[in-house]
Amino acid sequence: MNDSVKTAKDIVTSYSGRKLRIMEVCGTHTHEIFRLGIRKLLPENVELISGPGCPVCVTPVGFIDEACWLALEKNCVICTFGDLIRVPGTEMSLAGARSEGAQIKPVYSPLDAVDYARENPDKQVVFLAVGFETTTPSACLAAETAKKEGLENFSLLTANKTMPNAYAALEGSADAFLYPGHVNAITGTQICEELKEKGVSGVVAGFTAGELLTALAVILKLSESGEPFFKNCYPRVVKAEGNPAAQKLIEKVMQPCDSEWRGLGVIPMSGMELREGYAAFDARKKYDMPVIKGKPNPACRCGDVLQGKCKPSDCKVFGKVCTPEHPVGACMVSGEGACSAYYQYN
Amino acid sequence: MCVGLSARVVSVKDGTALIDASGAKREVSADLLEELEPGDYVMVHAGVAIAKITQSDEEEYDDVMESVI
Repeated sequence: MNDSVKTAKDIVTSYSGRKLRIMEVCGTHTHEIFRLGIRKLLPENVELISGPGCPVCVTPVGFIDEACWLALEKNCVICTFGDLIRVPGTEMSLAGARSEGAQIKPVYSPLDAVDYARENPDKQVVFLAVGFETTTPSACLAAETAKKEGLENFSLLTANKTMPNAYAALEGSADAFLYPGHVNAITGTQICEELKEKGVSGVVAGFTAGELLTALAVILKLSESGEPFFKNCYPRVVKAEGNPAAQKLIEKVMQPCDSEWRGLGVIPMSGMELREGYAAFDARKKYDMPVIKGKPNPACRCGDVLQGKCKPSDCKVFGKVCTPEHPVGACMVSGEGACSAYYQYN
Repeated sequence: MCVGLSARVVSVKDGTALIDASGAKREVSADLLEELEPGDYVMVHAGVAIAKITQSDEEEYDDVMESVI
């Protein structure tokens, strides 16, 4: 083990300061922390809680209903990240829609959906654009490519989200945040500096065992002063300025809008929608979609889990009615969801 | 969907990079990174190279820990 990582591990395991609640915002952090056994190293006075950083998990029920409407009522081919296919909607999931004849196609990238539309001009193709700042550039590239090529059979159903206002909604949920490294690879670290000025502490963390231990050790060391802090612990990927080309593209193609988050409700200006210049590629406008409001299953506590108000195991359907094979909530479906991680590793 | 993939750039042409991730090769968009060259390491998300990886993880551990101890 690298000497610095060994030092970090010693800091974490020997911590005896005040009780700290640390929220890992990114779903991949949640999973890696479980998978690598890092939770087992933590002393009792350090609690890790899972936040709303899995885009599939925070996507509201109504979005799935909208996608099912496009698939079943408008006969669109739905191209989507695979995680979304089994997320329950009000009446059915996309997998359920597929069993009723809908065409649902998992893709790795929005650009693959553009390729599919180009190769199938007789089909109307809709890509389900979910995700945070990390994934939004790829959706914007897809819209830009479709516009340049004049593809008339491609559109996006958007539910893209941004993190800054979510942090504000989560104020008081944790003593410090493990910021999602790949979001900051796009946005840069200015937002983290601004949060520090507002009294919110956190570090940008990478995803290896060494990076996660280092980030946790830095939080424990910097918490000693009692002052708000920020430290970029993932500098090999995250630069202060982020990715300017991606920021410029997002600014060109999309604009901020109010957005509903599962469990957090509508957070003002926390979402992204296509600008008017790209309206021809906005599925809601293209298909004159009615307002579709979803109804979540009242037994599911994904919303509380996403806010760190309870652990997955506190939910009465967890592991009983709700399992990865038969998920009730989105957090059990996605490989990055907190419930899925607790189920797999506990 | 959100898992980043670190990969080595094999070639770059017309805004597209051929990458090698532990032996698996695929084409991704290189539109969002300037001056990408074969041999560079990148972080890839949803088919798009979003960041260059500029140092080894071990160098990073040392730099970060030295700054707080």
